[in-house]
Amino acid sequence: MNLRRLRAIVRRVVAEVRRDRPSLALLFIAPIVVTGLLTFILREAETPDVTAVLVASADTPGPVVAAIEGALERGGIKTVQFDEATARVNVAHNPGWVAILLPPNLAGGTITLVTNGLNPSAEGAQIGAVQRVLVGAAVAAAGARAPTIAHETVYGTPSTDPMVPFAPAIVAFFLYFFVYLLTGISFLRERTGGTLERLMATPVTRSEVVTGYAIGFALFATIQVAVVLTWALGAIHVPALGPIPEFAIGLGIPVAGSPLIAFLVVVLLGLGAVSLGIFLSTFARTELQVIQFIPVVLVPQFLLSGVLFPVETLPAVVRPLVAVMPLGYAVDALRQVFIGGADLASGALQGDLFVLALVAVLFAWVASLTIRREVV
Amino acid sequence: MDAAIRAVALVKHFGVVAAVDGLTFDLAPGRIYGLLGPNGSGKTTLIRLLTGMTRPTSGQAEVLGVAMPNRPNLARIGYMTQADGIYPALTAGENVQFFAAAYGIEDMARVREALALVDLADREKTIAATLSGGQRRRLSLACALVHQPEVLFLDEPTVGVDPLLRVQFWAHFRKLADAGTTIVVSSHVMDEADRCDELLFMRAGKVIARGSGATLREQAGTKDLEAAFLHFAGVGAVAA
Repeated sequence: MNLRRLRAIVRRVVAEVRRDRPSLALLFIAPIVVTGLLTFILREAETPDVTAVLVASADTPGPVVAAIEGALERGGIKTVQFDEATARVNVAHNPGWVAILLPPNLAGGTITLVTNGLNPSAEGAQIGAVQRVLVGAAVAAAGARAPTIAHETVYGTPSTDPMVPFAPAIVAFFLYFFVYLLTGISFLRERTGGTLERLMATPVTRSEVVTGYAIGFALFATIQVAVVLTWALGAIHVPALGPIPEFAIGLGIPVAGSPLIAFLVVVLLGLGAVSLGIFLSTFARTELQVIQFIPVVLVPQFLLSGVLFPVETLPAVVRPLVAVMPLGYAVDALRQVFIGGADLASGALQGDLFVLALVAVLFAWVASLTIRREVV
Repeated sequence: MDAAIRAVALVKHFGVVAAVDGLTFDLAPGRIYGLLGPNGSGKTTLIRLLTGMTRPTSGQAEVLGVAMPNRPNLARIGYMTQADGIYPALTAGENVQFFAAAYGIEDMARVREALALVDLADREKTIAATLSGGQRRRLSLACALVHQPEVLFLDEPTVGVDPLLRVQFWAHFRKLADAGTTIVVSSHVMDEADRCDELLFMRAGKVIARGSGATLREQAGTKDLEAAFLHFAGVGAVAA
């Protein structure tokens, strides 16, 4: 090994990286942002806001109900009292509401907690908060041994399939990720290969370019989603054949709502991702730089959109960021469809769809501004 | 006859640098004009101003009587950029077809005609990435010609093109000009300049001389254009 030649190579590598300022910045900023955010989320995870709906049976002694209510309020849990039907309706529509159905006799009875079941990991934290207060209060009030606590959900059954809450989030995330990557790189090639300049020398309008890209990639996004959804939701049973035993193709994740509505959600998300790719390709000079945007742009969305960590337990400081993560609206919408069986009449789903459509349109406009030409 | 291309006190600044520094000229239809000058003399910026790809700092650029930038007018203009500007994953035919469609032409006969014009008829189904450098250059020209523009801007069309192909290119240009197309070719290669009807010598954003090759040589009293250029550029000592 010749040290001079070696030194020359080392020098060249260092010089190249030093000149590539975006890469250099990302080399340090990306890990700081990602590890910082992750640590923050895990360390500062907050007890979610819980509203307890106390439902007393006709035979539950009044003083016991009052004692439990007092204990919950002291524990920082807002408490209201409804009859069981009203309580269930409220729980179904309000994430963060837990109905507490009290038995006639606390001693040896079973307290049933009802949550809406859309976001099991967030509800786990909510139930934990209620349960801690409840057990102590019940023992003190009834002066008996601790009651049994059961959990049921309005949608789905609790803890049947651990994959259920993640499937919608993962479908949304991968779509977002790949559509961004494909568009970002192919649009970068348009910019660097001179074809965009040439295209801008034709009567083609900028909005035609962005819309054309969106439709073209939406086509592939649609196929991707169709394949992933079929794989995730389907379970095609292949009967036993000779020595080969019976088996199923697909993950067979149960879905409560219409796959077509889920489709609409991801298509809107994909359109936003196309525009994001076009927009960010402005700031990249090489394909490597398009990839380097991932930790800065996509990973925070992954962390803050409830894909793995429930939005409800995120530290209050980053909570406002959640509102501006397009992915979050898609994850929420898909959970409502998959687990809650929401249809287009659902107000919450309409809200998510509206935001996703708005993001798609807004980003398309911003993306078209990054295509430089003097005439629109 | 009215000018095909007109510049009126055209100025383009990049920061403090004047890339195009107050140009006024008329170019007549059906002629081949050569923009000649060293790198950085403002040739490409002038072409970008005339095609409306960039807006002048002051002054006006007009093509076919329409002030640029003007999007609809681009349908009457052809522009071959310095970079090939073709899609490597598409076939030669698909490339021409795409740009034809961008100009509003969906007729495959026109696509084949453009390919034949640059001698690539037999390459219609070849992926552009696998074409040779010269073939890609020709394909790029076909993409700029397919809509039969009235005005054609060619930014260094013969860079990296072998002598034989260069002769073919110029034969195409002449044929188009004879059919009425106004052609503006930029080049820093002086030996092809004589094929233009008229030359505009450019230096530091200004036109320092204009005329046919013969006229310019005569005025400068030099045998070749290179020496003539140096004469007009004020580097007189070399002119002898």
